Amino acid sequence: MAQVKIDNVIKRYGSVQVMHGVNVDIDDGEFVVLVGPSGCGKSTLLRMLAGLEEISDGAISIGDRVVNDVPPKERDIAMVFQSYALYPHKTVYDNIGFPLKMAGRDKSEIDQKVRGAADILDLTKYLKRYPKELSGGQRQRVAMGRAIVRDPQVFLFDEPLSNLDAKLRVTMRVEIKELHQRLGTTIVYVTHDQIEAMTMADKIVVMRDGRVEQIGAPLDLYDNPANVFVAGFIGSPSMNFIHGQIVTDGGVRQFRSDSGLLLPLPQTALPDGHKVTYGIRPEHIAIGNHGVPLRVVVVEPTGSETQVFAKHGGDFVDALVKDRFKAAPNSEVRFVIDPANVHLFDRTTEQRL
Amino acid sequence: MQSNRLGWILLAPTLVILFFFGVLPFIYVVYVSFHQWNPFAADPTMIFNGADNFRKIVFDAEFLNSVSVTVIFVLFAVISELVVGYVLAQAFMKEFPGKAIFRTIHTLPLIMAPIIVGSVWKLMMTPSIGIIPHYLNAWFGISINIGTSPVAAFATIIIMDIWHWTPLVTLTLIAALVSLPPDPFEQAQIDGANKRQIFFHITVPMIAPAVVATVFIRLMDALRTVDEVWMLTGGGPGSATRFVGVHIFKEVFPKTNYGYGSTISVIVLYLTIVACWLLYVTMLAPRNKKD
Ligand SMILES: Nc1ncnc2c1ncn2[C@@H]1O[C@H](COP(=O)(O)OP(=O)(O)O)[C@@H](O)[C@H]1O
Ligand SMILES: [Mg+2]
Repeated sequence: MAQVKIDNVIKRYGSVQVMHGVNVDIDDGEFVVLVGPSGCGKSTLLRMLAGLEEISDGAISIGDRVVNDVPPKERDIAMVFQSYALYPHKTVYDNIGFPLKMAGRDKSEIDQKVRGAADILDLTKYLKRYPKELSGGQRQRVAMGRAIVRDPQVFLFDEPLSNLDAKLRVTMRVEIKELHQRLGTTIVYVTHDQIEAMTMADKIVVMRDGRVEQIGAPLDLYDNPANVFVAGFIGSPSMNFIHGQIVTDGGVRQFRSDSGLLLPLPQTALPDGHKVTYGIRPEHIAIGNHGVPLRVVVVEPTGSETQVFAKHGGDFVDALVKDRFKAAPNSEVRFVIDPANVHLFDRTTEQRL
Repeated sequence: MQSNRLGWILLAPTLVILFFFGVLPFIYVVYVSFHQWNPFAADPTMIFNGADNFRKIVFDAEFLNSVSVTVIFVLFAVISELVVGYVLAQAFMKEFPGKAIFRTIHTLPLIMAPIIVGSVWKLMMTPSIGIIPHYLNAWFGISINIGTSPVAAFATIIIMDIWHWTPLVTLTLIAALVSLPPDPFEQAQIDGANKRQIFFHITVPMIAPAVVATVFIRLMDALRTVDEVWMLTGGGPGSATRFVGVHIFKEVFPKTNYGYGSTISVIVLYLTIVACWLLYVTMLAPRNKKD
């Protein structure tokens, strides 16, 4: 187990810079999730941690050791690739035992550890099979097994669940989290799926275009997003954003959207006329008799919840309510917004105000 | 059913050609091998003589010698071609200045007919006019004469074969290496394998099918090498380079002994199949069985 420090790391491919000074501190035993849209540099960062990619500038340390020039095999890390990267010509047993064999452990120890891991991961029946004779979920577990027999300082996972079907993904999410609780090893986990990030992480690192946008605990990011990007990325369905400005209307300070929609404001020192982006999460909107009037576009019931898409002029707002709700398209609906749940962002910098 | 019939119709031309130019001649050779037949002799009739030809083979010292000479040649040539071919293939996987030109030049021997390769090497190797004996003598004081030294003749043929056929091995190995997925190699680094371990545990097993296929092709080709050797040494000095192909050739052409020549061909084919089968069993079958 070890803490990991990523210090002002820069990555260039030739003349193209894809990582622009990334700083992340990871505590010993922490479960850190790197999340961001595809192409933002999550895999590149993870591969630099693993030593598969060179660091153009900055420093990465694992434990107390700067590992910039340490080859992967000496970093004492285990990694699970998105493709699982199983050895196609080796059985499940030999796949899981491979790192131990390379470390020169004796046969009986390898046998004991491989069987132990297979037991935890429910793979005992498949030890003699080859990777191509396994389902996606089983392959994924073999890759996990190969990582856990190592007892490494740090686990690195690169989108390990993205090739699984939705149901299996939920099961494996729980299993990985449970594994972390049992082993207590530091984990750096990459995903583009914010639900995975929210449910598994102790700490989330939100990335965009090779930069860190915000670092924090899942609920911290949900409650206090630093900017429009994080606010829109964390939480599902996404936060509503409405462009407009602050006005005083009938003696009350309000937000008026570009299409003239008036919405309630929290306490703010911003002057009238200040251009802002108004953010409200769908689940923070209720339907009532005295709210803001909009026109229904679509109603999507899922059984446990109902999502109501509505609009006013060019502004679209959706609400997620617990109650069943029916409405004809184009009928009027009133959205009730508690100003305490509203987030205001500067319209040009997109930073939270 | 419809598509099945269409498939056969589309295959038919190939099958017909294959039948007339592959299957029929083969059956005919097997048929001839049970006969005494010399169509250019005073009595050109084909006389059935049972297994006489096959019995004769077992006691044919020249044939047995040619088999052992061929086996030694094939072992040296094919193993060297694999090693050199692999090293070149790995080199071509990397970027270096002049790579495109070098790769083109390196494949040129492949497009040359064996008979031409043989004549060119003969020109280069003949004492007093050849460039190689000349410089070997001028620079290192070594004098070689493929006309009198069995070792020199044998070694020259092996080197000529390596020169001629290594590009084929390189090309197939490049194709195999290029198509390898990168992930298992990165995974192996993370799993703590060093370069040597990655080579033996990951690279070799993953390119084994391509290697075996290449060895099959080279093995079959090398076992029936005739023209280059015929050109260069004529099978000599003595019988030092009298490979089975050359032996059959001598049996059939100067002596026009078609019956016995066919018998040797059938036996050589059989030995080739056995060799390939052994190779397959040792290299690939254990894995495929579990597939
Ligand atoms: N080998 C490479 N050469 C050039 N650019 C690369 C290479 N690998 C990744 N990139 C670029 O780096 C950026 C980050 O990629 P990646 O880390 O794979 O993103 P993510 O895993 O977040 O989807 C992308 O813009 C990608 O095009
Ligand atoms: Mg990625």
